[in-house]
Amino acid sequence: MEDRKDVILEIKDLKKYFKSPTGTLHAVDGVSFSIRRGETLGLVGESGCGKSTIGRLILGLHQATGGEILFNGRDICKMSKPELHSLRRDLQIIFQDPFSSLNPRMSIGEIIGEPLRIHKKIRSRAELDAEVSRLMDVVGLSARLFNSYPHELDGGRRQRVGIARALSLKPQFIVCDEPVSSLDVSIQAQVLNLLKDLQGEFGLTYLFITHDLSVVKFFSDKIAVMYLGQLVETADSAGLFRDPLHPYSQALLSAIPVPSSRQKMKRVKLIGELQSPIDPEPGCRFAKRCLYAEKGCTGKDLILRDFGDGHCCACCRAGVLPDETVFH
Amino acid sequence: MTNEKNRKKSQVAAIWRRLRKNKMAVLGLVILSLIILLAVFADLLFDYETLVIQQSAALRLKPPSAEHWLGTDEVGRDILARIVHGARISLPVAFVTIAAATVIGGLLGAISGYGSRQLDNIIMRIMDVFLAIPSILLSIALVAALGTSMTNMILAISISNIPPFARIVRSAVMTIKNEEYIEAARAIGASDARIIVKHILPNCMAPIIVQATLSIAGSILAIASLSFIGLGISPPTPEWGSMLSTGRQFFRAAWWVCAFPGFAIMLTILSLNLLGDGLRDALDPKLKT
Amino acid sequence: MDLKKTVVPEERASQRPLLDIRGLRVEYHTDEEVVYAVNGLDLTIGKGESVGLVGETGAGKTTTALSVLRLIASPPGKIMGGQIWFEGEDLLQAKPRRLREIRGSKISVIFQDPMTSLNPVYSVGDQIAEVIHQHEKCSREEGRKKAGDMLEMVGIPRARYSEYPHQFSGGMKQRVVIAMSLACSPELLLADEPTTALDVTIQAQVLELMSNLKEELGTSLLLITHDLGVVAQVCDRVAIMYGGEIVESGTIAEVFDHPHHPYTIGLFGSIPTLDETVDKLKPIQGQMPDPTILPEGCAFAPRCPYASEVCQHTKPETVCVGGGHQVRCLAHQGAFQSPELMEEVRRGR
Repeated sequence: MEDRKDVILEIKDLKKYFKSPTGTLHAVDGVSFSIRRGETLGLVGESGCGKSTIGRLILGLHQATGGEILFNGRDICKMSKPELHSLRRDLQIIFQDPFSSLNPRMSIGEIIGEPLRIHKKIRSRAELDAEVSRLMDVVGLSARLFNSYPHELDGGRRQRVGIARALSLKPQFIVCDEPVSSLDVSIQAQVLNLLKDLQGEFGLTYLFITHDLSVVKFFSDKIAVMYLGQLVETADSAGLFRDPLHPYSQALLSAIPVPSSRQKMKRVKLIGELQSPIDPEPGCRFAKRCLYAEKGCTGKDLILRDFGDGHCCACCRAGVLPDETVFH
Repeated sequence: MTNEKNRKKSQVAAIWRRLRKNKMAVLGLVILSLIILLAVFADLLFDYETLVIQQSAALRLKPPSAEHWLGTDEVGRDILARIVHGARISLPVAFVTIAAATVIGGLLGAISGYGSRQLDNIIMRIMDVFLAIPSILLSIALVAALGTSMTNMILAISISNIPPFARIVRSAVMTIKNEEYIEAARAIGASDARIIVKHILPNCMAPIIVQATLSIAGSILAIASLSFIGLGISPPTPEWGSMLSTGRQFFRAAWWVCAFPGFAIMLTILSLNLLGDGLRDALDPKLKT
Repeated sequence: MDLKKTVVPEERASQRPLLDIRGLRVEYHTDEEVVYAVNGLDLTIGKGESVGLVGETGAGKTTTALSVLRLIASPPGKIMGGQIWFEGEDLLQAKPRRLREIRGSKISVIFQDPMTSLNPVYSVGDQIAEVIHQHEKCSREEGRKKAGDMLEMVGIPRARYSEYPHQFSGGMKQRVVIAMSLACSPELLLADEPTTALDVTIQAQVLELMSNLKEELGTSLLLITHDLGVVAQVCDRVAIMYGGEIVESGTIAEVFDHPHHPYTIGLFGSIPTLDETVDKLKPIQGQMPDPTILPEGCAFAPRCPYASEVCQHTKPETVCVGGGHQVRCLAHQGAFQSPELMEEVRRGR
């Protein structure tokens, strides 16, 4: 049984459905996981898997259709508006696109200072400016950029603005929604290092949402893999890469192009195309593309089975499948 | 406070730079400025009583000459003087009508765009009703119903201009509210009101300004049209439309009586349109500074 | 180690490169400034060879590719100098009509976003057929049949000929684009970040498809990307671009196992790898250079951990460091000694 001590965030059977003209879109369907204080959970999956939606549900930006989101023991889904408002101080988010997540008509100083203004944390203007300058220093932004506008900065610097804004209220938990995906490789590394440093310095907990598997391994303690709204596998980083149990995880890991002259991947092939998340059938949604699928894979609810050491997998045939992975 | 000043300076400077490059827009701005200047100093240039109001049989229908640059009208008044004073009516009235339409229409549009589906539907359907009626007819109907007076004319023109602004602001709000920085604002705890005022509206200013500029032109035309058919400003107050109307009958013999007021209308509208188009390009955030 | 040996692109009589770019210079002229996008680029691609052009945003990769077919919007773009030799003629001097002949039939382009590359109002089959009709003399029927063949070749059932782009997923759309680009069996395919917008598993499928087709049809490939993993998978050779120039080039083994240029070393240090666990990455300090300022010395000097005084004022020349492996760096040129750099190179990856 997993160590229940000091769990800062726990999601239980979270569901989010959207109404679409053609039916009900099951964006998130019965996802459960927990994150301990000071830890980083990497949430990976391809487009449409629901990882971004989960990030927004945790922030209260979407209303959940079902399930619980327990932050420090209290259910976010059941909170009143004022309670949610004060929760904002503890839960923050860094967005993927550093350009569209910053108001083009506000200066950098205004953007970073806005959370403080809204929550009336600081009284005087001078104090506010000083705090903003301090935050800029923490994230490595030059002070002379105080009055600059987003369009004057490059992607890396803009993302630092987003990070400074997220830090301004001294949160405990930050959802990082693909924070480095739009950045150049050399800038990515700078920002990732920064995020790691900040975590150590301020004792932050991260939910790191990404589709980039090599980054997630470097950055996370634990990883959760999602497919079409369902959680298919969770494990600690090393464990997942050493021994992926779910066929989708195996396919995903083997699909990463490795920057090496030697290793030519042996790819786990997938058949067919991505399913539609609208009105899906019960059971494993990966079954239609899975090489190992059997009749029993669909039709009944998915169960996340524990294989020891916190390594859980939703594949009903895991453990008996041939190990096709490249990484040993 | 330095922050605020710096912000205004850099943004306005950038917009001004872009506008300056557009020769047509600069032309429009220059012409418009001239017209406004003339209107402001109208009293100094042309004495109201003697030139604009006083009738004189002797000076009837005189063609353009050194003394009367644009000639005189059918009761001997100097046409240039009347046109310049006419600007004092047309421009402020047009401005007031559009200012009112912008504020009311903008508010309705913002509520419509940001609020619930139902509210949006109600407001927009009402707007649709007004839009279905040609604005001139609407203005005529309103003035005819309420009576001919300056106030009623302003009311009529304002009302008929509200729907376009409501639509523009609504569509801008609907686009912007899905931007990630709005989501970011909600994530840091901004209230709906703060989001609309601080985040959405400032980013809508561009289409509003452009529409306002172009609408002022339309409003001038509306004022002229209403006066032309006798439902707006009544003589002897000099107004371009009514001058056109009375000048019609003398077109054969004394073309200058209606040609010049018409020309004044055309020039004003042209300059506003050029400026409006230029502003639209200059305010487009996608263009690099 | 060879010092001070500047290399001119080779032209062996028997093995003339298919594409030979020499000294390409491209600038963008706006009202306020000039952007120096490509500053003296030399690149060759042999017959049947696939070359990866790697660089980050603003390095000038897309500009280079567009220049080959003279697709740069002009204004504001301007090709200031250089030659692009293809099948014995300089494309930069070719007449527009000749360029139209070449585009699509001898040299094809695939752009990054498959969503916008396809015309939404025509069926996918017809779009492929259009390319064929443009360049080959054949009847309607023959064209349609050939288009159907191309669809099959990229793994799309012929029966989907009459479907429209919106009925396909991203990966499938990119396959259609690939089919269009290969319809007339071009000698050279320019692919600009063809899989960046796709999911990882779909990307793997598309890359595999491109590799196979390349083998089958013998097409040369210039693959532009920022992803070193993709290059390693698909390409024979790689050229690293920075500040509008090629700073290092060679075979995959040469460049990936023993990167010589500090930028290349920095790039590899920035990417987390799967087989090792690192606590912190080793990013390259600083920012991309301002493309409106042409540097006096080496473009990478401000960010280079091994740079010396001479790097600020002298432009490095391309030297050969073994086999076909070329580097543009003053340290390797022998202009100064950098034992740290040499140690890093020797150690390799």
